[in-house]
Amino acid sequence: MGKWLARLTALGVALVLAAPVTAAQAADPATTGKKTVRIGSIQSVDSMNPFLAVRLIAGQLQRWTYMFLTAPDPKTLQPGPDLAESWESSEDGLTWTFKIRQAKWSDGQPVTAHDAAWTFNKIMTDDAAKTGNGPAVENFESVTATDDRTLVIKTKAPQASMLSNPIPIVPKHVWEKVGDMATFENETYPAVTNGAYIPIEHKKDNYVKLKANPDYWQGKPKIDELQVIFYENPEAAIAGLKKGDIDLIGRLAAPQFEAGAGDPNIVQWNTPGRRAAYLQINHGVTTSDDKPIGDGHPALKDLKVRQAIHHAIDKQALVDQVQNGLAVPANGSIVPPMYTDFFWEATGEDKISFDLAKANQILDEAGYKKGDDGVRTMPDGKRKLEMRFSIHTDTPHEDKLAQFLTGWFKEIGITLTTRKLDSNKFAEETGSTALFDIAISGWSVNPDPEEVLATHLCSRRPTPSGEGGGTESFYCDKQYEDLYQAQLKELDPTKRADLIKQMQQRLYTDAPVIAIYYPNNLELYRKDRITSITPIPSGKQGEGILYGGASGYPMITLDAPAVATGGSAQGGGSNTGMIIGIVAAAVVVLGAGGFLLSRRRKTTSDERE
Amino acid sequence: MATPLETEPAAVQTAAGSGDDRPAYRGTLRYAVTKLGGALLSIGMVIVATFFLFRLIPGDPVIAYTRDVPLSPDQIDLLRKQMGLDKPLMQQFADFVLRTLQFDLGTSYEYKRPVADLIGERFGPTLLLAGVGLVIAVSLGLWQGTRAAWHHGGRLDRFSTGVSLVLWSVPTFWLGLLLLMVLGAGIGPIPGLFPTRGMESVDAPDGFGYVLDVAHHMVLPCLTLVAVVYAQYLLVMRSSLLDEIGQDYVTTARAKGLRDDMVRRRHAIPNALLPTVTLVFIHIGFVVGGAVSVETVYSWPGLGLLFYEAIKGPDFAVMQGTFMVVCVAVIIMNTLADVAYHVLDPRVRSA
Repeated sequence: MGKWLARLTALGVALVLAAPVTAAQAADPATTGKKTVRIGSIQSVDSMNPFLAVRLIAGQLQRWTYMFLTAPDPKTLQPGPDLAESWESSEDGLTWTFKIRQAKWSDGQPVTAHDAAWTFNKIMTDDAAKTGNGPAVENFESVTATDDRTLVIKTKAPQASMLSNPIPIVPKHVWEKVGDMATFENETYPAVTNGAYIPIEHKKDNYVKLKANPDYWQGKPKIDELQVIFYENPEAAIAGLKKGDIDLIGRLAAPQFEAGAGDPNIVQWNTPGRRAAYLQINHGVTTSDDKPIGDGHPALKDLKVRQAIHHAIDKQALVDQVQNGLAVPANGSIVPPMYTDFFWEATGEDKISFDLAKANQILDEAGYKKGDDGVRTMPDGKRKLEMRFSIHTDTPHEDKLAQFLTGWFKEIGITLTTRKLDSNKFAEETGSTALFDIAISGWSVNPDPEEVLATHLCSRRPTPSGEGGGTESFYCDKQYEDLYQAQLKELDPTKRADLIKQMQQRLYTDAPVIAIYYPNNLELYRKDRITSITPIPSGKQGEGILYGGASGYPMITLDAPAVATGGSAQGGGSNTGMIIGIVAAAVVVLGAGGFLLSRRRKTTSDERE
Repeated sequence: MATPLETEPAAVQTAAGSGDDRPAYRGTLRYAVTKLGGALLSIGMVIVATFFLFRLIPGDPVIAYTRDVPLSPDQIDLLRKQMGLDKPLMQQFADFVLRTLQFDLGTSYEYKRPVADLIGERFGPTLLLAGVGLVIAVSLGLWQGTRAAWHHGGRLDRFSTGVSLVLWSVPTFWLGLLLLMVLGAGIGPIPGLFPTRGMESVDAPDGFGYVLDVAHHMVLPCLTLVAVVYAQYLLVMRSSLLDEIGQDYVTTARAKGLRDDMVRRRHAIPNALLPTVTLVFIHIGFVVGGAVSVETVYSWPGLGLLFYEAIKGPDFAVMQGTFMVVCVAVIIMNTLADVAYHVLDPRVRSA
């Protein structure tokens, strides 16, 4: 009897576990013909309130759900119309006038210039609302709507990056009712938005569902529903992609990307990236009141030494060995070649190539003599060229990088010791206290590179009390500052791009940072599920970014086959197989419990005998 | 609080074999009160330690948190103020203690929401996963441990001890990924059978369908957890039962001609269970902390995941809050274990 009971229990449990499949099948007729695309994200959404959210994924969602004043043109990445149909700036560059598009919020209310004015003013006046995009309005003097269609922004100083404003415009009639911005979660669904999609559901650390907005100004997206599904673990996400639980995943590291090889349904989308990886060099750094701080090696103050180091880096080898070939060696500075308009590349005399003999020669000439042990000393003979290389604790590829650098530096008489720091300590030592010699760093660049350029300004150095201001190099250089100010005022795109190139040239030749490579943008998607998608930039080769770029355009162009029958939630594998598998596993897991039960029954009856 | 109990007639005079003629539960009560005092003291120490521990972590939380965000000095000042870092240390400490005593664990830097709320939301999923896992692991482990010890040296013993030693040494994360690859995504002829992530499907049905959907999602994480945890129970149960089997009273019982099964169930097992009681209680404490590895592999929206995300942030408020909740849970469970031990084992009572 007992045994049978146990078996029945096990069978029951197995059926229970198998049931979701049947449930999904039963539910299918209702969803027939629906086009859904599921995007995997390795970051969860921190907040649906655009005034508070800081994570990249939240920024992406905003690009898909709200209109911005302007959006990058999908072909050229130059600012193009979005909420603003057109714009002009005054002669002195201090006043901008935007013509607002005639559009509707998803609750049917008209979109007006007052919405935009309210959004900007909120950020300018409410400290809590500054969290997400505060710096973007720092230079704003006033924002007013002169009528429903006209928005006027006055700035304190010229701001050429005005047309790359990162702030989503929210509906005033909904948001002015919000009491405390700091705690408002904005989770009433469907949300009121005006972008390509409307958020309809959000489960924290789980998923976000968006439906296509039929009133979107560029036309209703081709798919009906876009889902963003959170995976804590990239390996699990790749497994999910292979199985068909998700259709697209971006922002991958090389090994994860390579795991997508060999699957006939998966496209490996390997394109130029928006990131630059560089070495940060302690070139004798100072606080914002010009007092030296930190304990950087004195030799690094010498430009000759920095140049010698630059000569001792085989960037191609690093690309091949550290990035598995999935990067481009850097012959420029902090702006990657993806941004063709702003990218500067070293040529002629400027160009520093891998040349150990040259590096040795430079150091010899500068008076750094090699000792018997092969290590050089300072010209005054006091200190050996023994330096530290700071990397993060948990990033294996940085270990590899360190090994290569150590080898080359040894050839030129510099001893390099690797220091592994956890991210906090790393951020502190390389960002405010300057307790480092050479460190690894990198930055993702937006279509307008002003932000990354600003991380090398004097004002970004730590304050006298030692608090960091967001510097990437502790750099403070008159020439660089002047160029930065000039590009802020320059409203002619070509002339401005030229100034920005000159800034990169200055960084390249003065070497407070040394760019080593530009990692590619690595994405995987299922071609059986995504039938068409337009990357950005979609210009010459059509080889841009799908997910994670500074525009929502690819997600607007998505198309997918309508799901006719079966497995929208389960995807991939055969249902019969799934049922068999579930039954088997259920028996394994819970049959044990049943067996226990049967044992118990048997022994008690034994005892009774 | 304890008074009414103490004045009650002592109906439990028969308390077994303690050589103590006071009512057994009164002793237990006194013991419990002492333990409770100890626990409260420990909790107090945890609160103090938490504050200073998280300030010992190198790096300025504001700088660390805003690492990849371009911020002006004004913005940084603002954040510092929001996080309460602009006040003198002792005042921060006083604020912290006061708030903690009111169960206010501060506000998450990243989610901008009260940490207590975040922990509350993730408590359920963790309890569900780890609770079910623990129940299965305990029953399986105790049962197999008993078998192994009873048939000590036999094939079953060698096999199950071998398996559990392997499972015990395997990193949870690795085992989880392996199961995920094989049973989740499917390899070769094996089709993908289980969801690769989370606690529910995006299009999960309502009502009973939802329960089934969650059960379906639970299979792999639960299997991983059970595989890793049950080995401990098996090994502890096995060794403690082996100890008992060698005791005179077992030999006596057998010599009396009692059935093997009876000797095992009535004599040996109850005594051998004692060490596992502690283990169970301690594990329940850790259940609250969530199985960080399992939750991370399967993106299970529980406390473990919350903690892991907070470390990545770094979101000090969340780290601090979760740390404290886990410590307190372990303290409480340890205290309960002590009391349970006291009730179960006469030897502890007389000591």
